[in-house]
Amino acid sequence: MNAVIAIAGVVITELYRRKDFYVLFVLTAVITLLTGAVNFFNDPQIVRYLKEIALLLIWISGLVIAIGTTARQIPAERENRTIFPLLAKPVARGQVILGKFLGCWLACGLALIVFYLFFGLVSGSREHHWPLVNYFQTLWLQWMMLGVVIGLVLLGSVVFAAPSSNATIVLVIVVGILLLGSHLNQVALQQPEPVRSIVYAIYFLVPHLEWYDVRDFIIYDSPLPGWADFGLATLYAGVYAALLLFATWLVFRRKPLNL
Amino acid sequence: MKGRIPFLVLLLLLATCFSLATVIQPLAQGWSKRAGSGSVLKMLLGDSRRLFANHFFVQADVSFHSGYYPSIFDQAQAPGNSRHMTAKEGDAAEEEHEKQMNFLGPPRDWVERFGRHFIITAHTHLQGGKEREMLPWLRLSAELDPQKIETYTVAAYWLRDMGKVREAEDFLREGLRNNPDSYEILFELGRLYRNSHGDTARARNVWDLALRKWADQDAAGKKPDPLVLAEVAMNLARLEEKEGNLARAINRLEIAQKASPNPEVLQKQIDGLKNKPVAAPSER
Amino acid sequence: MQTILETRNLRVEYPAQAKGQGRKAAVKDLNLRVSAGEVFGFLGPNGAGKTTTMNVLLGFVNATSGSAFLFGVDVREPIARQRIGYLPELTYYYKFLTAEELLRFYARIFGIPRAEADRRIDRLLKLVELEPVRKRPIRTYSKGMQQRAGLAQALINNPDLLILDEPTSGLDPLGRMKVREIIQRLKGEGKTVFFSSHELGEVETVCDRVAIINQGELKVEGRVADLVAEHQANLEQIFLKIIGYSPEGPT
Ligand SMILES: Nc1ncnc2c1ncn2[C@@H]1O[C@H](COP(=O)(O)OP(=O)(O)OP(=O)(O)O)[C@@H](O)[C@H]1O
Ligand SMILES: [Mg+2]
Repeated sequence: MNAVIAIAGVVITELYRRKDFYVLFVLTAVITLLTGAVNFFNDPQIVRYLKEIALLLIWISGLVIAIGTTARQIPAERENRTIFPLLAKPVARGQVILGKFLGCWLACGLALIVFYLFFGLVSGSREHHWPLVNYFQTLWLQWMMLGVVIGLVLLGSVVFAAPSSNATIVLVIVVGILLLGSHLNQVALQQPEPVRSIVYAIYFLVPHLEWYDVRDFIIYDSPLPGWADFGLATLYAGVYAALLLFATWLVFRRKPLNL
Repeated sequence: MKGRIPFLVLLLLLATCFSLATVIQPLAQGWSKRAGSGSVLKMLLGDSRRLFANHFFVQADVSFHSGYYPSIFDQAQAPGNSRHMTAKEGDAAEEEHEKQMNFLGPPRDWVERFGRHFIITAHTHLQGGKEREMLPWLRLSAELDPQKIETYTVAAYWLRDMGKVREAEDFLREGLRNNPDSYEILFELGRLYRNSHGDTARARNVWDLALRKWADQDAAGKKPDPLVLAEVAMNLARLEEKEGNLARAINRLEIAQKASPNPEVLQKQIDGLKNKPVAAPSER
Repeated sequence: MQTILETRNLRVEYPAQAKGQGRKAAVKDLNLRVSAGEVFGFLGPNGAGKTTTMNVLLGFVNATSGSAFLFGVDVREPIARQRIGYLPELTYYYKFLTAEELLRFYARIFGIPRAEADRRIDRLLKLVELEPVRKRPIRTYSKGMQQRAGLAQALINNPDLLILDEPTSGLDPLGRMKVREIIQRLKGEGKTVFFSSHELGEVETVCDRVAIINQGELKVEGRVADLVAEHQANLEQIFLKIIGYSPEGPT
């Protein structure tokens, strides 16, 4: 466990020493504030479009940070050969994977907290109410989703050689799931037989990341999902992340590292 | 800087993905209409602004429904017109719309059943001043496609409802500048004059103009919307009746009758007016 | 004498790198045995298979056949690496960390308590003379400074066995002497050192025993003094003879 935490610590240190996160945050903040400054029909109470745009940017930034950070972890360790002194310590490869996962995931959580603080500040200053529990649930669900995404990227990073192709592939998969995931069963129904079963299988196999996108609930001030559903969704994400990490470990376990 | 470039590329890619996705919906809806309308290039260049405008208009509708909205995958089509966006409870259009928007059938499997907990599943419309939340999207839509008339009428309707008469009028005038032949905007403008300013004379002028524009378009074979004609004519008839011009009121009602989906109701009104003794022209 | 490091019929093959080329055996049936307290020199020309052997010992590369043990534990077990320190051939560390943070990171991996870690870090940074730059990111270090940071990192857990892959490469003469001193000091503390080098003079002064391999095969193994006596030549001449070089030309 020491090793896992130490490795995670280095990942987080790297994230805040690199400037990518700040760039994304400043970009989000600037765009949000600019759109917030637009005057629509002299009505200062209009707020939902602002929430919509801010949350969209946060959502994109979250994905970019998660995928961008995770995709280069293991390839960079191998390319810079830092993996050698690391594995020369009594560290199992599974611990490396776990540490990388934990580091990326916690780093994303920290980034999300910063983003949502900003969001709360902006929307709260207009609406004059702070539904903190809703913010928490939205943040949490997004964070859980990022856990699955990070697992996916880690698996990709031990399968594909180039981090850029890995990031692109995962991005396409994730965006695909977010947009189509919940409709694949309808798509399946419209297909002829062999294709239909395949689409159905995909539908039941893919992690349904679109569940974790509950932005609409805070944009439109709806009561959020109940705590039971919330817990189940967390569990589901946890199981998927664990499966992906296990698969990553299976691939990485015996991989010769100097090839 | 070097390490940041892939990041920025990623960001760009993502933004493209998201905007593509948002474009696909209106695109898919408009596809059939546009098939065969010249080269692909022309379509892409000329229509991209309109596509975005349409997207933002749909976004306004989504926001009107607080996020409850069918996607292109749902069997039910998204609301085809904007009539429901200004319809009050109990309206015929409203009921039709209610049926249309009942697109979430019973869940087909556990994934769908569980997923329902994370989307908005109730058909509601904004109310109590919250309608203002649609306005930014409408403004954006008008910015991108000044020829989209519904944008002006819907926005003006709610602006008026919220007491922002001056903003409503300005916006309608802007719409009229861009679409001088739009009887819809003229109709809305007339309602604004009558309801908000109590200026029946100007309302009548504008509505009369609307009738003429409608007739012009009809003559040019542009198939203008008969429902709007009926509404304009009925409103005019009411105006004339109040002012005691029964003959003109009857004439307007007859115009309305031709365009209305239920002419019998209007026939009764016409008969009622015909039997009315020619009273002294009221107040005036 | 306790055996600390052992390979048994170790064979490592790399997959073909080009079309029409067969698999390449980098190490062939290598049997090595290093006992506690020895300083063992692992010699051979470029491409002989030294780094590959070390990679197996550290679990980076899997043996094609045969086996390897550290402290009697199969090298595939992470626990076998609990009591070793390793300095890679080419030093690359997390460049965004400072030397101090790097050492603290490795100390945490070993689960060394904070206070103890602080003490060791101070001592090691003094030992490798990085004390004045301890708060600077490794990115700003020269090659030799990075090499010294690597050496400090290899010593953080106070290891009983050191595996050093060309520890003096890239160091200035003073730096080399320092490394030699460190090795000798470790030997004085009863540690075992297994290192590869191309500096035969240096090997001759610090090593108890050496092994010379060529093209993956063990050619000579024994105590330095015995070898010198047996061949009536110094280590460099023995080495050249073994790899098939004679002053007149290849034999
Ligand atoms: N990743 C690899 N893939 C294929 N062949 C490799 C790989 N790494 C090393 N080899 C080959 O294995 C052989 C042994 O290489 P190794 O690095 O062990 O040599 P070395 O003794 O450490 O040499 P040097 O003194 O130059 O460091 C060489 O012929 C080399 O080409
Ligand atoms: Mg080597």
